[in-house]
Amino acid sequence: MSRYILLILGTTVFLWATSANEIIKKVEDNLNGKSLDMKISMIVHTKRTKRTMKLQSLSIGKTKSFMKVLYPKKDKGITFLKIENTMWQYVPKIERVIKIPASMMLQSWMGSDFTNDDLVRESSISDDYFQKLIFQNNDIYTIELLPKDESTVVWGKVIMNISKKYYLPVKVDYFDEDGELIRILYYKDIKKYGERFYPSYWEMLPQTKEKEGRKTIMTVQSAIFDKEIKSSYFTKRALKRYSK
Amino acid sequence: MYKLIIKSAFASLMKRKVRTFLVIFMIASSLWGLLLMQGIYDGMTQQMINNAIRSDSSQLSIFAKNFRSQKDISLYIKSSKQIEEFLINEPNVKSFISRIVTSGLVATAKYSKNTSIYGIDVKDETTHASLDGYIKQGEFNFGKKNRGAIIGFQLAKKLKVGIGKKIILSAQNIDNQVASISLKVTGIIKTNNMALDEGGIFINKERAKIFLGLKSVNQISIMLNDYSKVDMLKAKLKTTFNDIEVFDWGELYPALLQTEQIMKSFSYISYIIVFFTATIGIFGVVLVSVLERLREFGVLRAIGTKFKIIVAMVFFESFFIGIVGLFLGSLIGGGTLYYFSLYGLDLSNFSDALDEFGMDAITYAVIKLEYFITAFIAVFSATFLSILVPLRVLKKSKPIEVING
Amino acid sequence: MKPYISIALKNIYNNKGRTIVTILLSSLSTAILVFITAFMDGEHKIMLKNAVELYPGYIQITNKDFRDNPSFDNLIENSTSLVEKVKENDNVSSTSQRFETFVLFSSDTKSVGAMIVGIEPENEKINSKLEQSLLKGKYLENKDKNFLYIGNELAKKLKIKVGDTISFVGTGADYSFCADNLIIKGIFQTGLFEFDSTSSFVNKKYFDEVFVSENLSTHIIIKPKDIDNAQFLSDEISKILPKELDSQSWKEFMKTLVEAMELDGIFGYITVGIFFIVIFFVILIYTLLSVYSRIKEIGILRAIGTKKREIFSMLLFESVVLSFISILIGGIIGAFLAYYFNINPIELGAEFEEQFKQYGLASTALPTDFNVFNILRDMLIMFILCVGSTLYPIVKVNSFKPVEAINHV
Repeated sequence: MSRYILLILGTTVFLWATSANEIIKKVEDNLNGKSLDMKISMIVHTKRTKRTMKLQSLSIGKTKSFMKVLYPKKDKGITFLKIENTMWQYVPKIERVIKIPASMMLQSWMGSDFTNDDLVRESSISDDYFQKLIFQNNDIYTIELLPKDESTVVWGKVIMNISKKYYLPVKVDYFDEDGELIRILYYKDIKKYGERFYPSYWEMLPQTKEKEGRKTIMTVQSAIFDKEIKSSYFTKRALKRYSK
Repeated sequence: MYKLIIKSAFASLMKRKVRTFLVIFMIASSLWGLLLMQGIYDGMTQQMINNAIRSDSSQLSIFAKNFRSQKDISLYIKSSKQIEEFLINEPNVKSFISRIVTSGLVATAKYSKNTSIYGIDVKDETTHASLDGYIKQGEFNFGKKNRGAIIGFQLAKKLKVGIGKKIILSAQNIDNQVASISLKVTGIIKTNNMALDEGGIFINKERAKIFLGLKSVNQISIMLNDYSKVDMLKAKLKTTFNDIEVFDWGELYPALLQTEQIMKSFSYISYIIVFFTATIGIFGVVLVSVLERLREFGVLRAIGTKFKIIVAMVFFESFFIGIVGLFLGSLIGGGTLYYFSLYGLDLSNFSDALDEFGMDAITYAVIKLEYFITAFIAVFSATFLSILVPLRVLKKSKPIEVING
Repeated sequence: MKPYISIALKNIYNNKGRTIVTILLSSLSTAILVFITAFMDGEHKIMLKNAVELYPGYIQITNKDFRDNPSFDNLIENSTSLVEKVKENDNVSSTSQRFETFVLFSSDTKSVGAMIVGIEPENEKINSKLEQSLLKGKYLENKDKNFLYIGNELAKKLKIKVGDTISFVGTGADYSFCADNLIIKGIFQTGLFEFDSTSSFVNKKYFDEVFVSENLSTHIIIKPKDIDNAQFLSDEISKILPKELDSQSWKEFMKTLVEAMELDGIFGYITVGIFFIVIFFVILIYTLLSVYSRIKEIGILRAIGTKKREIFSMLLFESVVLSFISILIGGIIGAFLAYYFNINPIELGAEFEEQFKQYGLASTALPTDFNVFNILRDMLIMFILCVGSTLYPIVKVNSFKPVEAINHV
């Protein structure tokens, strides 16, 4: 009798565990698609200032992405290329392609509360974390992500709240090793883009004392999924070529 | 004959016990003071040099050409296997270790800092230079899976990490890509070599090789059996292998080398001080003693005693004071130094300032035979010098005159 | 009393040998003490002065939170008007605004992260030694645009020379992205490896355009008219600052260096102390010898009724006179040496170069400290030492009974 209970329990846990994997896979697919062409507006709030930027982002799957700054005029034409774990930047003002070195990976990306590392690493949840479904109700799944031994993420723990309806993230909490909440990422305003749904409002809210009063808000102006994107965008030549 | 001379000298000194003992005490105490300072200053310098040698350069270090000025990871020692073979067969080499050396970034969720990364083998480092002796917290190993890291204590403070905490290390690998690995802090180390304590991280050598895509090492460090022959070994290495640079610890740490040299000049000055002290002290006593006994000496000379014998008498007085003073001073000085060599001089009150300049809070004194030899020479020469004037006075005096008052 | 004074003086005159030796020893020791104090104090002062004047400055105004968290949230706002306000204090000799930040420099072959500072070139001439450290090329001017003044070790890392162009990318004060090309105008070398390998400077007017930092700064440097009283001025300035700003003197922000100097001083004084133990004994022995040589005389004096007290005073008087003459001579010689080397600093030469570099000194010229108060203090110490060392012999000789004394051999 007890053996059967054990088997059932085991299967349930297995199913729960598997479903965490499946949920995450669905979410990642929903966030990236086969390809994605987005126009984004980013507003960075600090204690003293508020700055707006407009960008275009082209990406294929999880590994390749190309970004271009459209506004303000000062930064127009700056391009970024990310292939696997490496990122390059082209700055028209100085006419140089710079490869982002290890020491810069944790610097903020374009003055926002996202780091270069965030952009490079954004889609390797499945590779980097053990996933466990720890809670669900009618609206959301809550998945606990614990870094694998080998993974090189700085977080001690990440809690993702995912919308059951859309399989899109709603809120992500980032904790350090001591359990201190370092930052929260909100995904809001889910809209329909073609066949897919996508959060049109992202808010990164740092929680530490040093970053008090800061937040970064990204709003999606337009998003086209799974369209054919020229592979020439994902070469180093593209950085300068598509800068104009 | 000599027995008489010695007895007479001794008796003369004993007649003026207070004076005699005062001079002996003066020589002894100045000798004690100077020996103590020598030993402690030498101890301090040696400790600083040892810290640098044990933690970083050993006595001799080999790098690929231009590695030190450009710090490019692609400049690794290509002929490392041959060099290691050579060193094993070289009689003057006591032991050697090899390390991966590069720079990168260490990060936690809240902080990140630039760091120097050292890929080492814990067993080798322990036998070679007891690097394990510097561990302050945790252990000198990288855990079962070799995923550990040992961090300099100042760096650990800045990152606010302790034993067991996770850190992410990123660096440029051989293909110029950014590579990262995740490690857990297994030990915190305090070497008092500032560069290491403030920005150094030790990781397992093999893991470093994988992480950075290296097949060889960047640094080979050597301890010699006989350091005085270091230049020979350097030359040999340079002629045998043409793609390397070889540096001794003085070249890698010029400031320390200079400190050592300054200490040497300091010790010469202090022995000159002892010399003068002894001379002046003995001079005073002997002069007065001679002047007091002009009559005695006059009588002796009148009855035919050769001047040589008189000289011997005066000399023995001086010699006796000097020797006893030397002996006493060396005994007390040596004893104090021995105490401090075992228990150390505790300067922990100044630990903040000391930490800043890479000095240990507890200094262990050094005892060297040469301290006592130089002391002996100084005092002995003083005994000779100090009697010159009194002897001249004696020589000039005419026996008849002094006998008649 | 009078006859004894004359006896004392006669004794000094007659026992020329003893007198000369004692005066020689005591005055030499006094001169040495005065000189060593002047030397050590001078050494520490110059080390601190050089370290402070090289770049950090005597007084720094920063945002209160800036030292712990150097982010753009913790800047000095309305920097220019604040400087005007500070200048109203008469004790302020000169001021300088700085904006320090980190950027990534990119030459044709290498990328290196380093510090770049927007400075006021004319003001920095007085407030730091940047101009004096010029090695190649030229220093900055107030009208310069995108010209860079860079440390030589940093230039080596980037493999660039005067006239080359390099680019940088960084973040502006409004968190915007900024980048530009810079032409190397000059290369400097302070001798401090850390500083020379991580620092570079541009004209703040140009910096403000690129980094959007008009009227903002990370540091305001102040040089007081009286550099020995920087702390006092710093406290005064604190009173007129808005509450989010803070003023600190170099004693506060360079605390560890100050402590290290103190430690060094202690070691120095211990060394000197041992030397004085020796001198103490030498004088003691000589006094003993000379006093004993007159023991018959003293015995007779006692026998004719001179009180112990009076003998004591007479001998003491001799000692005081000799000591006084000695310290006067020694003090003057020592003071002269201190003064001379204060005006003409001692050149220590290459043997000490590396040591000095560690402490932040760019040169090896050491002026001694000429401080009248210290000199007088040293003379007093020697005086007490000299007189003190004669006490034992005087007391000892006085303890003899008159008959014993007369019959003493």
